Amino acid sequence: MNSFQRYITSFWSGLGSLLVGMKTTLKIFFRKKTTECYPENRATLVISDRYRGELVMPHDAENHHKCVACGLCEMNCPNGTIRIESEFVEDENGRKTKILRAYHYDLGSCIFCQLCVKGCPHGAIEFRNTFEHAVFTRSKLVKQLNHPGSSVVKKQ
Amino acid sequence: MFDFSVVTEWVDEGLRSWLPEGWVLPVEFFLIGLCLLVAYAIIALVLILYERKVCAAFQCRLGPNRVGPWGVTQSVADMLKMLTKELIKINHVDRFLFNLAPFIVIISSVLAFGCIPFAKGLEIIDFNVGVFFLLAVSSIGIVGVLLAGWSSNNKYSLIGAMRSGAQMISYELSIGLTILTMVVFSGSMQLSTIVESQAEGWFIFRAHVPAVIAFVIYLIAGTAETNRGPFDLPEADSELTAGYHTEYSGMHFGFFYLAEYLNMFVVASVAATLFLGGWMPLHIPGWDAFNAAMDWIPSIFWFIGKVAVLIFVIMWFKWTFPRLRIDQLLRLEWKYLLPINLLNLLLMVVVVVFGLHF
Amino acid sequence: MEKKSIKEIVLELEPEAEVRSEQPFTVWVPPYRIPLLAPRLRDDEALAFDFLVCMTGVDEGETLDVVYLLRSTRHGHEMVLRTGTSDRENPELPSVVEVWATANLNEREVYDFLGIRFINHPDMRRLFLRNDWVGYPLRKDYNADPAVNPVPLESEETVDVAPMYEAHVEGDNVDIEEKENVVFGDEEYVVNIGPQHPATHGVLRFRVQLDGEIVRKVDVNCGYIHRGIEKMTESLTYPQTLALTDRLDYLSAHQNRHALCMCIEEALGLEVSDRVKYIRTIMDELTRIASHLLFWSTFCMDLGALTAFFYGFRDREKILDMFEESCGGRLIMNYNTIGGVMQDISPNLAHRIKTFVKYLPPMLKEYHDVFTGNIIARQRMQGIGVLDYDAAVSNGVTGPSGRASGWSCDVRKKHPYGVYDRVEFDEVIRHDGDVWGRYMVRMDEILQSLRILEQLVDNIPQGEWQAKTKPVIKLPEGSWYRSVEASRGEFGVYIESRGEKYPYRMKFRSPGLPLISVVDPLARGGKIADLIAVGGSLDYVVPDIDR
Repeated sequence: MNSFQRYITSFWSGLGSLLVGMKTTLKIFFRKKTTECYPENRATLVISDRYRGELVMPHDAENHHKCVACGLCEMNCPNGTIRIESEFVEDENGRKTKILRAYHYDLGSCIFCQLCVKGCPHGAIEFRNTFEHAVFTRSKLVKQLNHPGSSVVKKQ
Repeated sequence: MFDFSVVTEWVDEGLRSWLPEGWVLPVEFFLIGLCLLVAYAIIALVLILYERKVCAAFQCRLGPNRVGPWGVTQSVADMLKMLTKELIKINHVDRFLFNLAPFIVIISSVLAFGCIPFAKGLEIIDFNVGVFFLLAVSSIGIVGVLLAGWSSNNKYSLIGAMRSGAQMISYELSIGLTILTMVVFSGSMQLSTIVESQAEGWFIFRAHVPAVIAFVIYLIAGTAETNRGPFDLPEADSELTAGYHTEYSGMHFGFFYLAEYLNMFVVASVAATLFLGGWMPLHIPGWDAFNAAMDWIPSIFWFIGKVAVLIFVIMWFKWTFPRLRIDQLLRLEWKYLLPINLLNLLLMVVVVVFGLHF
Repeated sequence: MEKKSIKEIVLELEPEAEVRSEQPFTVWVPPYRIPLLAPRLRDDEALAFDFLVCMTGVDEGETLDVVYLLRSTRHGHEMVLRTGTSDRENPELPSVVEVWATANLNEREVYDFLGIRFINHPDMRRLFLRNDWVGYPLRKDYNADPAVNPVPLESEETVDVAPMYEAHVEGDNVDIEEKENVVFGDEEYVVNIGPQHPATHGVLRFRVQLDGEIVRKVDVNCGYIHRGIEKMTESLTYPQTLALTDRLDYLSAHQNRHALCMCIEEALGLEVSDRVKYIRTIMDELTRIASHLLFWSTFCMDLGALTAFFYGFRDREKILDMFEESCGGRLIMNYNTIGGVMQDISPNLAHRIKTFVKYLPPMLKEYHDVFTGNIIARQRMQGIGVLDYDAAVSNGVTGPSGRASGWSCDVRKKHPYGVYDRVEFDEVIRHDGDVWGRYMVRMDEILQSLRILEQLVDNIPQGEWQAKTKPVIKLPEGSWYRSVEASRGEFGVYIESRGEKYPYRMKFRSPGLPLISVVDPLARGGKIADLIAVGGSLDYVVPDIDR
């Protein structure tokens, strides 16, 4: 008799638990949906400022950047993502200084550890919160960060 | 109420006046087959979209919304994709059985589909053991599933097929008994008669308690018959990747996919026919104005509406419950559904014999 | 008193032991004494070292050493046992599998990377690398030339026999006999679950012997995504190694990095400010909630409840948004640094956390309605895959899975770090040991984490978020072990330094490896569906197993 009772009660409690579940899903059925309609919502999309999308080198209005080609970022990078091409030029006083020729950055192998930005003594590079980086070939992910014709900003 | 036999008779007469005597029947058969297959494909596509939208809503998503307005042509695009996909030739399969299996599955579901009375005067196969025929042809599908699992020469497929065999044979019993319960009440196995006799009131109301119990069991067993969640053990994507159709690609997979949805449609239609009056409008004895108003709605809409609601319930099951384990599945059938079913049959006999129904 | 007594007892048990250091208490024991000493260390009432926390193989140059970090679950004390062999051609050490079951996979790992064969280990196959791999990567003289190990173009043949080396002692004469253990016979019905399988949560491969629906034996094959992080760290500076910890168990990224930072800070003697401790604790708990939510989602999906999956992800998204705002990353947060954090928390964080703490409990109620209470789910969880207390300790199954077996192993309580000693929370312990227990522990831990967050969020003290460090960080000579309670168990970092700016050996004690080692005993005799449920409830993350 006892086992028969258990049989009956387990049947009703089981059925009850199923109905509770169905009630909950039905409630959610009529709730507002959480899908983000990207790309239609591009204009209202909030990407926080700190989001590390890609490494950039800010240039000012006169096409000056702050990089002195010291190579610290290249050294700090655990993944060999940054390659700096530099050259020595003589300035008007006859002093040799190192200037940046090209700053190569491979977005494809960047692990966004921020050691380059943290290590930069001049604040020449930073991360930007762009995120649409899809390209068709990997070679397009290797970017030159300094703009053509740019030069290092003169110290006052 | 509009009777679809007017249309069919008109077509028949037209053909008879146009064509020589011996040609009429073959042409009619061909036309019927064509209509059936087109309806089959369209319903499958609509159901796939319906399922995806419903499941999305349960999951706080929007579902397909890129192809066409609100994504309505999504499943058409999917079908075109599926049709153009390569049928991958797999080594070490039993080629003949492997290719045969999806056709068996789809033939069984088309045959069952043909039995359904869609609207007044719109039924294709209708004879005195219609219910019996429907049960018989819908059971052929299991052969296809077993063949698919066996011939794939894949361990997942084989386990899936074995599960499917155990499951279908068990639940076939429940389906048979619930239908038998309703046949006892209606006194006929002809689907058209069953529908006609519900003009006074749907069976689920007229036969009250036993009919409601039979209806619930039928829905559960029907869900299990169609291999849909929570009874999707033969596919069990998190256990067997895709179960019996793991190795299928292209349109062969498509057949299994379509058959699954159409079987759901068949199950819902049979439930609508046996319990909810098929295409019969809602009639309440004594309320003549109400009944007349109900008659205004065409019978095909009644039928589709009932089926849509039932399919929604089946989807609701799937998108709420976790999958059963094989022993739970069998326990549910043999320890709960079957005894209840037998008692219910007895109850129905008592109701009929003593005239305790409305 | 306590400390001295350990030393005394150990020396009494093992007169040949050579004390290497007092803090932590470290002894060196010649290898042939290990088979005698190990069981005594475990069985001695006063010592009771029943938990092998971390087993590390180190190439010391002259010798190949193995470092056992032992802990007593009863007394809480720890000791380090070292042994080694100077035979680099044919290194052989005794196995301790019989004493601590967790040594099984760990010894295979050491064999894989250092080539030390463990005598009497039942299954001396490579664990991570291919069977035809040339060389032992963690040896200092390893030839990393790609020409030695070219990229293979053919798939690896599965070997069903495992070598075993048995020692026969006759007087002073020790014979090593090579035997073969058959993993699966030719007649067995063996099914691959993985490496590409929806329920293995990554690229893990179980070879499952089936008898119809019943699982008879499970053989775990890992290494499909092994990246050699421990080897990589040997050529990276300390700040650079931090970037890799986020990529171990990516669902406990904050906690992993916290452990490494704490270990380095301890070695440097660097004190971090209270603000940093608060921030780190908050981030750890957010990570834990996110991880448990993901556990819930994926576990439900494994059991076939697909809708539940989306609910978990929907709510986890809110935590990821917080991470994005403060840390700049969603999955790889990259936030802790040596001596602090990358940047101060976002001013919005406190508000967001407060909203979230209010938001989540009603959602948890819904989770329970949809899944926990469901009769199908309950029957699939209760009484399935029971892990008892002793097996949990012996296998080193920590974290929620260990606590479900009644083992109080929460590092946050046992060795408080961050500000865990200043907040009130309960260590969730259950005694079922089954899938249901492991599931409920995690669900209740979410509530405890919310409780911690609630206490912390309003009290974050002002202060600097980054302590001053030298531009080049060099650790003094020595070895350190620090551990944290990561989302799925004790995550430990063992650093051995020789005073350079690169670590000499850095070992991560992953919580995942012990978890997969118990899949076989838990799944045996169950159905295929139970295997999936057991795997889901253990909640392993594959990159954490394959470091």
